[in-house]
Amino acid sequence: MTILEAAPAPYLKPLPEVRPENQPFFDALRNHQFVVPRCEDCGDYNWVPYPACRSCLSENQAWTPVSGDATLYTFTVCHRGPGAFGAEVPYVIALGELVEQPRPCLVLGNLVGSAIEDIRVGMPLSIAYQEIPGEDITMWRWVARS
Amino acid sequence: MPFPQRQAAIVGVYTTKQGKLPERTSFSLQLEAIRGALDDAGLTTGDIDGLLPMSMTDIVPGTTAHQFWAEQLGERPLGLVEVGGASGQLAKAAASIAAGLTDVAVLFFGRAGGRTGPSGTPAAKVRAPRVADDWSFATAGGYMTSWYAMWAQRYMHEFNVTNADLAEVAVFTRYHATLNPDSVMGRKGEITVDDVLASRFVCEPLHLLDCSIDNDGGYAVVIASAERARDCRKKPVWILGGAEAYYTDFYATINDPWFPNQGKSVRKATDRAFGLAGISRDDIDVAGLYDCFTITTIRDLEEMGFCKLGEGADYVKEGHLRLGGSMPTNTDGGLLSNSHCGDPSGMHTIEVVRQLRGECGDRQVPGAQLGVSLQQGWAVHGMASTLVMAVD
Repeated sequence: MTILEAAPAPYLKPLPEVRPENQPFFDALRNHQFVVPRCEDCGDYNWVPYPACRSCLSENQAWTPVSGDATLYTFTVCHRGPGAFGAEVPYVIALGELVEQPRPCLVLGNLVGSAIEDIRVGMPLSIAYQEIPGEDITMWRWVARS
Repeated sequence: MPFPQRQAAIVGVYTTKQGKLPERTSFSLQLEAIRGALDDAGLTTGDIDGLLPMSMTDIVPGTTAHQFWAEQLGERPLGLVEVGGASGQLAKAAASIAAGLTDVAVLFFGRAGGRTGPSGTPAAKVRAPRVADDWSFATAGGYMTSWYAMWAQRYMHEFNVTNADLAEVAVFTRYHATLNPDSVMGRKGEITVDDVLASRFVCEPLHLLDCSIDNDGGYAVVIASAERARDCRKKPVWILGGAEAYYTDFYATINDPWFPNQGKSVRKATDRAFGLAGISRDDIDVAGLYDCFTITTIRDLEEMGFCKLGEGADYVKEGHLRLGGSMPTNTDGGLLSNSHCGDPSGMHTIEVVRQLRGECGDRQVPGAQLGVSLQQGWAVHGMASTLVMAVD
C-alpha cells in the first residue's frame, strides 16, 4: 500500500461532498482502504456505486475492501484544467480496471508519481492514499505498481 | 404499428449568428431562433403546440422550463413536451404527430456567455469547493475533453490508429467550413494534418484542432404534420425514421469493453432508425454526424455501420465524407469548424435539412434526397439518436 505525502496547502481543487450514503467509503479511505459495493446475492462488484447491483438489481450490497490492484485501461494527460487544476498542468487522469472481477470496475483518478513518457495502457497500477490539508478527507490516487 | 413515414416533416429551421455574442442572452438567442424557424416555415408562435427544449433558459432552471416557455409563447396549453437529444426528440415528435398528440412542435436551444470547456470553471480562491460528483470527474480535474481523450487513447491502443489519422477529420470539416459563410472558423481557411498535429495538446492525445470550438449561438427546428407541412413556405423534409438509445451515466464510468463488435447506443438507435425508415445506409446522400472531437466522427461511422469496427479512420481517409465523396458529412463544418454552441445536437439536422432543400450554395450536395443526422453525448456515445430524412 502506498501512502503519499499530504497534498500541498492550500488545497483548492474540488473535493467530494461526504453524505450519509457515501460516508462508509470515505471512512475507509481514511483507514487506507478502498471499498467497493459488492452484491451479497450475486457477488458482483459495482463501480461507480449505485443504489442496487447492476447485475441482479439487489439492494443487498456491502462496502467490501478490494486489493487496490488494477490495470491501466486508458488515460489522458491534461494540458488545460478547470478551476484550480489549471495551475497544475500537465496532470494525468487515469481509468484503472480493478483486478476484482467478473463485472469490471473502471475507477477514475489522478495518476501521480510517474513520468508522463513512462505511462502505458496496460501497465499495472495500485491505489494510493493522500491526506488533504485543512480538510477532513483522504483522497485516492493511482500510482504505478512495481 | 410501423413508424409513420412521411406523416411529419421538418418545415422550418433557423440558426442565429454563431460566435462570441457578449451582447446577447441565452433567452434572446432562443427566442430569435424560435421566431426565425417559424418564419422559415411560414408559421407564427400561435401555431406552436409542442416544445422540444434542448436545454433550459438562463431565466428558469430545471424541468419547469417548458412551463415557462408555454407561458412566454402566449399562455396557451401545449400538447407535447419531449426531451433528449435533437434527432431523437424529432423522431419522437414525428411519432407523436402521427398519433395525433400534437400538430406543430419546435425544438430550440441558445446559449450566450457560458463555456463548455475548462475555462468555464473558475478557480476557488480560499477553500476547496465540494461537489456532489463523489467518485470521479470534477475531483480528478476531468471535463468533457478528458473523457473523449481517454476514449481516443484506448481506441488508438486497440486499433493502431494515429494522431494523424484523427486529424484527417478536422481537415475535411474545416474545408467544408470554408464553403459556409456563416461558420465560425471558415474564414481562417483550410488546415492540414500537420496543422492539427502542431496545435497544442488540450488533453493528450487530442490536440486543440481535434476539439470542437466553444462559442455562443442558438438554433431552432419546426416539425409539423403532413397536412400542415403542405401549406408551409418551404419544401417539406419528411421524417422517414428515427430512434434514440441511452447507455451510460453522465461521465461517471463506462464499462469495459469500450468497443464491442455489437456496438452500443449509437448502433441500437441507428439500426432501429434505418429499419423504421426502410432504406439502407448506402442510400444516404448527405449526413450530419456528431463531431465534438475528431475521434467522435470515427466512432460514429463504425457504430452506425457505415464501416466496420476499427476501420473508421480509413473510411475517412478514403474521402467518403468530403464534399464530392460517397456521403458528404458535416458539410457546414460541423462542431469542429462551424459551431459548438453548448448543446449543438440539433445543428447536424439543420444542415441536412438545408442540403435536402438545396439551400447550401457552394457546399451543396447535388441532388441530395436522403439524409441522416446523428446526435450523441452525455458521456461518450452514452446518449444517442438517429434521424432519417427525405425530400420528394
